[in-house]
Amino acid sequence: MEIEDSPLLKEIGFHSTDELFQDVPQKIRKKELKIPRGISEFELTHLSQEIASMNRSFRHNFLGNGIYDRIIPSSVDSIIGRSEFLTSYTPYQAEMSQGMLQSLFEFQSIISDLTGMDITNSSMYDGFTALGEAARMAYRINEGSEILVPETMYRSKLNVLHSYMTGLNVRLVPYGISPADGTIDLESLEGKINDNTSAIIAEQPSSLGNIDRNVAKISEIKKKALLITYYDPIALGVLKPPGETGSDINVMEGQQLGLHRNLGGPLLGILSFRNEFARKSPGRIIGESNDTQGKRAFVMTLQTREQHIRRAKAMSNICTNQALFAVAATSYLGIIGPSGLKKIALKTMENSQKLINSVSRSKMLKRELNGVPFSDVILKYSGKGDLQHKLAESGIAGGIELEKLIENPHRQLKGSVFLSVTEKTGTESLEALSKAIEVIQ
Amino acid sequence: MTYHQATYDEPLLSEIHSDNRYKVPEADENIINLIPEELRTDNVNLPVIAEYDVVRHFTRLSQMNYGVDLGIYPLGSCTMKFNPKFADRIASMENFSETHPLVGDDSIQGSLRVMYELQVYLSELSDMDAVTLQPLAGAHGEYTGILIIRKYHESKGELEKRREIIIPDSAHGTNPASAAMAGFDVVEIPSSPDGTVDLDALKAALSDRTAAFMITNPNTLGLFEKRITEIAEIVHKSGALLYYDGANFNAIMGITSPGLMGFDVVHFNLHKTFATPHGGGGPGSGPVGVKKFLKEFLPIPVVEKSPDGKYFLNFDLRNTIGKVSPYYGAFSTILRAWAYITYHGSDGLTENTVRAVLNTNYLVSRLGNDFKIPFGKLKKHELVLTTENTGKRALDLAKYLIDLGIHAPTVYFPLNVHEDMMIEPTETVSKRDLDQFADALISASRQDEESLKHLPVNLSVGRIDEVKAARQLKLHW
Ligand SMILES: Cc1ncc(COP(=O)(O)O)c(C=O)c1O
Repeated sequence: MEIEDSPLLKEIGFHSTDELFQDVPQKIRKKELKIPRGISEFELTHLSQEIASMNRSFRHNFLGNGIYDRIIPSSVDSIIGRSEFLTSYTPYQAEMSQGMLQSLFEFQSIISDLTGMDITNSSMYDGFTALGEAARMAYRINEGSEILVPETMYRSKLNVLHSYMTGLNVRLVPYGISPADGTIDLESLEGKINDNTSAIIAEQPSSLGNIDRNVAKISEIKKKALLITYYDPIALGVLKPPGETGSDINVMEGQQLGLHRNLGGPLLGILSFRNEFARKSPGRIIGESNDTQGKRAFVMTLQTREQHIRRAKAMSNICTNQALFAVAATSYLGIIGPSGLKKIALKTMENSQKLINSVSRSKMLKRELNGVPFSDVILKYSGKGDLQHKLAESGIAGGIELEKLIENPHRQLKGSVFLSVTEKTGTESLEALSKAIEVIQ
Repeated sequence: MTYHQATYDEPLLSEIHSDNRYKVPEADENIINLIPEELRTDNVNLPVIAEYDVVRHFTRLSQMNYGVDLGIYPLGSCTMKFNPKFADRIASMENFSETHPLVGDDSIQGSLRVMYELQVYLSELSDMDAVTLQPLAGAHGEYTGILIIRKYHESKGELEKRREIIIPDSAHGTNPASAAMAGFDVVEIPSSPDGTVDLDALKAALSDRTAAFMITNPNTLGLFEKRITEIAEIVHKSGALLYYDGANFNAIMGITSPGLMGFDVVHFNLHKTFATPHGGGGPGSGPVGVKKFLKEFLPIPVVEKSPDGKYFLNFDLRNTIGKVSPYYGAFSTILRAWAYITYHGSDGLTENTVRAVLNTNYLVSRLGNDFKIPFGKLKKHELVLTTENTGKRALDLAKYLIDLGIHAPTVYFPLNVHEDMMIEPTETVSKRDLDQFADALISASRQDEESLKHLPVNLSVGRIDEVKAARQLKLHW
């Protein structure tokens, strides 16, 4: 190694780099590293292209259920590609990191405005883990031993929530979702609420894809329990914000706000809550203050809740979060603006109606669920074999089976599939879909 | 040649008013009637700004932010090394970035191959037998690792009894926080006078109530725990497991490994050791490696390869802890780490380790006359000094550095050294960078205390009133 000739080595009085590791006992030295030797950038890029081409790209996309192919303004990628943002870290030296701090403060603000909630922290890992943290937070606040969850919650989300409940004296208790229209069965829910209920988790739209009018009614029946809502942020282009319908804590997955799908990660967890819960909340929070001259300045605050100070008694262990994507979401919302978000939400709904129309002639796919879908349209599938597989042969991604997502779906819904749309779903994709379905029949 | 921060007195996004003309597809307005009236809104509360103003705003803000691309960023414990641009380029290849997680194994053979290979590389680097890529940061990896340890004790019928996790006082805050989150009691043990694990204290703390001992090696003082195999032995003898916090893996990669040292569970920080960008605080990625006897507890799915060469997601692990995140982990970060390893290879990775350690020891020799650097001269990838002997506060020296345009080290961590600075130069700095840094820090220590208190003066803002920020909470514009 040429490093043996490094002038630094002589400066510290060592003859060989071996001396740097004299404190590592011989018997635990690594004898061999079974990893190929390094290659040049050119070779690496070529190899990567080859590997990327092993992935199949689809002309028509109908996959959603949490991760969506939405419009991403080019400016968003450009902003988060700024190396001053990309290659910085947690703003420990606040004065030198005002750019990131102000951006994160703006993220907190813009999300609080959009959701009508008081406070938003500066990001969590993703929607599911943020939901887990929200549930822990609710438990810290009122210590009830039960948290109510919709019975149709996706298995993956439920599993993550479950992991986050480890070690707490909390049971997750399912409440009913109507198989007729995919909305919350308020009677079932009310029957489960008692003095031990820490929180009620409600999804908007529901995991069956429909806009759920009953989410807004929970605050009337919730008693002492906290209402944790899980909103699709794009739906806020047309729906009343959770802050206006009684949410105590609101969670969102921010991937739709300017992030590429990236096989489902990294994502952006968004956590908002009411003022009085600030000191029980997890995660980093940026506050506005001023410098010695009275000039506006931003800094991390409420740090006494956090792991580096409170250690075992911290509100959460989270340290590294998703700051860069908080900047992406802020830029996205800034660029799209209020009328843009509304149009995107409306277009999504328009496309889900079109999708229902375009499959309506098919005998194999039937819309049996009543109610209004947002992005995810559930359809009863009566054909044979795996629809997702068959569609893939026609260059269409979509048609995921309900059973792959939900543990024990209602009897009436068994054998259903999802086809999801966004504002990007074009007529040509809808046509390709109806054609493919005809052929499959 | 140091950083000069721009000063724009940049307004908040909400204070900028211009026309928003960004175009999205037109939609049928009547669709809104499908939504129950009581749920509908006509008033989306977002600022109205032109796209060009949003871009200018964030471009100006970016110029008020320091990153690795601007120079040395010696935050101890954070491994702020150069983030290669080839990794960004690869991560933005559409066939990678535009894949949906539920598209099915057949359609993502390329992505699965990347994940599989990274699992193999991380296993090889750490001498662990199986790896999950699902955790999303170091702390999340810790949490995952502790859940695995919990499930292991549960499977042996010992969870009722094994309620404690032992952690040294020098540990990072996430360690006790993760252990507590997973429902364990944290038992903190003091370090010995030489800065390493106090074996007697460890022995005294260990019992049949111990679930695990959680450490990093080298420890947060940059010291290699020489008696690590002995530690492993006594921990295992008590029926507990040994957890490796991989935040400091950049000190030993290719030289030794947690597996060889006797660890059972380890997490990696891809955003540290494997040079993926830190993004102003994230995203990160915190894969976890385990020994064979713990593989059945890993979160699902793990990526496997069938004998015919096909990659697949295996959801079928007998005693899985379940899931810790939505899908398969931070894929684009995973991809960047894979690219880093593939580029550097076995030869380059080891050389990087040596350079990182060499740079640190050079700083020890440059700073050793002016600052007290406790616990011996030989360090691994980072050093901890105290400013006490200079009569100055670590915080003030840090502000002097940033005022010069040099990012300060970590201050006031670890907690077992007073007025400390934790310095990690990494391998991606030159001798000139190191000298400039050392000269600046030494010169800082020679300033008079009063003048230091007024720094910084050359940045976009002066010293910030943190007390006010916490007392008069203003978290929204
Ligand atoms: C020693 C140590 N352990 C754990 C962590 C936590 O890692 P992360 O920030 O990725 O969650 C850090 C990071 O800052 C660290 O320095």
